Amino acid sequence: MPPKEKVESTEQLLQAVILADSFDERFQPITLETARCLLPLCNVPLISYTFEFLAVAGVQEIYVFCCSHSEKVKDYVKQYEKTSNMKIHTIVSQECYSVGDAMRELDAKQLIDTDFILVSGDVVSNMKLDKVLEEHRARRQADKSAIMTMVLKKASPHHRSRAVGDGSLFVLDQSSKECLHYQPVKAFKSTRQDRRMTMDMEIFEKHPEIQIRNDLIDCQIDICSVEVPALFTENFDYQDIRADFVHGILTSDLLGKTIHFHEVSDVYAARVRSTQMYDAVSKDIISRWTFPMVPDSNLPTGDCYEYRRGLVYKEKSVVLSRTCVVEEKVVIGANTQIAENSVLSNCVIGKNCVIGANVKIDNAYIWDNVTVKDNCVVQRSIIANGAVLEQGVTVSKGCLISFNVIIGANTTVPPYSRITALPDEEEGEDELVSEPAVVGATGHGRSFKEAEDSDDEEDQVDPRNKQVNRLAFDMSALNFETLQQEESASEFESEASDVEEDEVNPAEELDREITQTLERAFKEDHDVDIAALELNTLRMASNSNFHEMRKRIIPGVLKNIDLSAKAGSKKTVKAVLTQWGPLIGKMIHDEEDQVDGLFILQKACATIYEDPALAQKIFAPTLRYFYDEEIAEEDSILKWYHSEASRDGTETEKRLHKVATPMIEFLEQSESEEDDEDEDSE
Amino acid sequence: MSKNNELVDDLVAKLKRRQLVGSSTVAQATLKLLIVVISKNNWTTCNQLVTLVKSVGRRLVQANPTELAVGNIIRRVLHVIREEFREAESIASHMDQNETHSAPLTTSSSMYNLLGETGSTPAEKNVQYPSSLRSNIIQEIREIKDELENIYENIKNQASLQIHSNEIIMTVGRSKTVEEFLKMAAVKRKFQVLVAESAPSYSGQEMALELSKAGIETTVIPDSAVFAVMSRVNKVILGTHAVLANGGLVAISGTHMMAAAAKHHSIPVVVCTGLYKLSPLYPYDEDSFNVTFNPDSVLGFEEGDLIEKVTVTNPYYDYVSPDFVNLFITNQGGHPPSYLYRLIVENYDPNDHTFDL
Repeated sequence: MPPKEKVESTEQLLQAVILADSFDERFQPITLETARCLLPLCNVPLISYTFEFLAVAGVQEIYVFCCSHSEKVKDYVKQYEKTSNMKIHTIVSQECYSVGDAMRELDAKQLIDTDFILVSGDVVSNMKLDKVLEEHRARRQADKSAIMTMVLKKASPHHRSRAVGDGSLFVLDQSSKECLHYQPVKAFKSTRQDRRMTMDMEIFEKHPEIQIRNDLIDCQIDICSVEVPALFTENFDYQDIRADFVHGILTSDLLGKTIHFHEVSDVYAARVRSTQMYDAVSKDIISRWTFPMVPDSNLPTGDCYEYRRGLVYKEKSVVLSRTCVVEEKVVIGANTQIAENSVLSNCVIGKNCVIGANVKIDNAYIWDNVTVKDNCVVQRSIIANGAVLEQGVTVSKGCLISFNVIIGANTTVPPYSRITALPDEEEGEDELVSEPAVVGATGHGRSFKEAEDSDDEEDQVDPRNKQVNRLAFDMSALNFETLQQEESASEFESEASDVEEDEVNPAEELDREITQTLERAFKEDHDVDIAALELNTLRMASNSNFHEMRKRIIPGVLKNIDLSAKAGSKKTVKAVLTQWGPLIGKMIHDEEDQVDGLFILQKACATIYEDPALAQKIFAPTLRYFYDEEIAEEDSILKWYHSEASRDGTETEKRLHKVATPMIEFLEQSESEEDDEDEDSE
Repeated sequence: MSKNNELVDDLVAKLKRRQLVGSSTVAQATLKLLIVVISKNNWTTCNQLVTLVKSVGRRLVQANPTELAVGNIIRRVLHVIREEFREAESIASHMDQNETHSAPLTTSSSMYNLLGETGSTPAEKNVQYPSSLRSNIIQEIREIKDELENIYENIKNQASLQIHSNEIIMTVGRSKTVEEFLKMAAVKRKFQVLVAESAPSYSGQEMALELSKAGIETTVIPDSAVFAVMSRVNKVILGTHAVLANGGLVAISGTHMMAAAAKHHSIPVVVCTGLYKLSPLYPYDEDSFNVTFNPDSVLGFEEGDLIEKVTVTNPYYDYVSPDFVNLFITNQGGHPPSYLYRLIVENYDPNDHTFDL
């Protein structure tokens, strides 16, 4: 940097740092070929939304940090700089693997000497920062230890622009606008650690009133003081700005720094962190929440979008055939042609695309120069530049089709596929070996396999936490985990259409998995809660319901009973039931489930022991246990007993039915007694 | 091309980002820029200057096509340029008696010229323009600037002619012009104003506050009550964002409803507007000059579950067709909608309605 600029910056020159790299792999395989921040969002590269946001905030100088695909980013930045009055510098650093590395680099280069705005290169916001900056500066004047102000946005828990699985818990003091504690929240809390939050008791002593908030979207727009990069250097193990830095600073007694927040509600701010967020933010832009950052503002030079009713944005040079239907929420880029009878809804189509006849495109993002031939169907997917879909191709939901892939005629691309046209370097291939199974006989491309997570610091990344970020991930499957206690099995029917047609029979697969899980649980003496969680996970992974689970778990538990075991051993009927009975209980929620459970119990006992005498030895105490622990209530037991089905079946099953008779009699008697009592008391 | 690209870029960016909005603000900014562009660039002929101004104008208009005042000001300036050149040319031809009398350089508004050779500019002749031409043009443009600055003076002086004692006036939204107009009338007369609150921007509430500060008896009513109270109203006075060539208005949403209610009750509708808001463009459909704002003020973005299922639109303007308007009060006096065509012809050159070169 020439010294002249240094002199300038002593005045109130507003600087910003953009972290153009995301340091994750959520957009792979598309990001194998270009930088994340250059992905088009509503036909405009992501980073230009960030530039625009900073320009409105009055930023004069921007440092763009990039590592992967730095040449492409550099080129774009140069081109952009020409049309703007901001000074934009690109800093290339190949060794950066995290936000922390970038900040350390920043500190080493000593580029920043005032408070600056730190954003990532995928922020979309129409916020005006002047108020936040003012607040931050005033606070800095009063108290030098206030090193950072985070901008947080309020939104309901299931808001679409909330990144699933990237939740965060903030402990805040509204009076001093101070953030007291921070905790990241995962979508699937598979370990005990994930489910707990530890807070310093001192917080309660110092602050009479605190808020614990989970309804804030963290858009990672931070006003940082000069100390922030230095603190990263001091704590060389900090990687993430939230999970490590904020958490670290706030829990450290030695540093004595404070972090503040600014809550906004009537402006838009979001980050395109994942494909799921890409979808959400695109929709927000189309629905004009980001106004004035909407396509028809034509912010990039050369664009010429017009706004039509029904949230349709169309370039002037678009050719629409007479019979094609452009439904709601559609963006169509320059020089794109759409042929007869095609139907477009909720989608973005890039420049110079050719869409054939009878094509259906719904919720999809099609980038530039894509050819979609006749009779194709595209749903909830991203198709990158230059891709070709031959005639009759069906792209199911959640697919990422990378640059220049060709999908052969009449192929159906299964849901959540990721297809690339790059050769597989790990396999040592120099040239692409196409996989006809994925892209069709005449196709060009292979399915992309995610690299194994080499990040050893994060001990166990639940694979599902990755999945939830995906485009078109079924939210219903997700909401369900939190609601499962209230909801009954009958309400959940597996979505047959979602299940991939695998060679392995899913039922057998589930059988095997459950048996293994149970065996492990018995052997290692797991907590019932943990076993239940694992089983629930299995159920969701296989898209199964509670009935299927009961059918496998009840026999599984009962099999564990050894009738010849001596008292005191872990295998007696009583011991097994006390230890593992609650697990069965966790699979049963309402009356219907209970009756179902009893049928399964009856059948299971009969299957395990052919001999009725032995079978009843387990059946009777288990039934009793069910009743005592209220796993099966009186009404359900009676219902089971009196039903036709319970009387039928094999000899053993019939016998077991009889075994239950004394108990039923007892129950009926007590019930009538109760009734009598009721009558008496009246 | 213009040497002042940076200034142009800056204004274009501000218009695109909507950092500059409002007819009067953008009109003044445009004029300021044009003065710089015209005075700092080299030009010798009419064609050169027109091309220069048009090229800047096209960029500004494209930056925000809904701010019609930008285009209007550019057309006014072009008109002034053409007039000045024509004048200079006639002086020059008078001095050089040998040369045959040349046809006027630009088309005037006569029927003959409209049907004849519009659009084609006669070939540039080697006319020696007087050196005062440049300063004359700048002078004329400065006069437009003065006009813009004093626009409220000229309009509000007509207030006492329009508003009588003990009348009930209704208005909608916040318009600086209407505000000045009513305040002026309040100096001499005592009357009552009903202001529709103008959801979702609620600019009507601000308007009411300003009026009541000036000592006018003001009542805020919800937009939905406009029809109900209309029967008691004596006159509807409206502000507008732009006036189109047919006399239609692009005005804050809610205006159309108020104008329709007034028509139903046969109550006169008066529109206060500066001439710079008068555009020679026609509305080909009702949405053509509208802006759809952030839906946040209609339905909060926090309502995550709702916004996924519902589409919310928040158009900022209404198109009000000319048959709802009885009178335009401009800085050049009052005119009925049928007379607007004349104002357009007087103020703009037909060659400048579009900025294609």
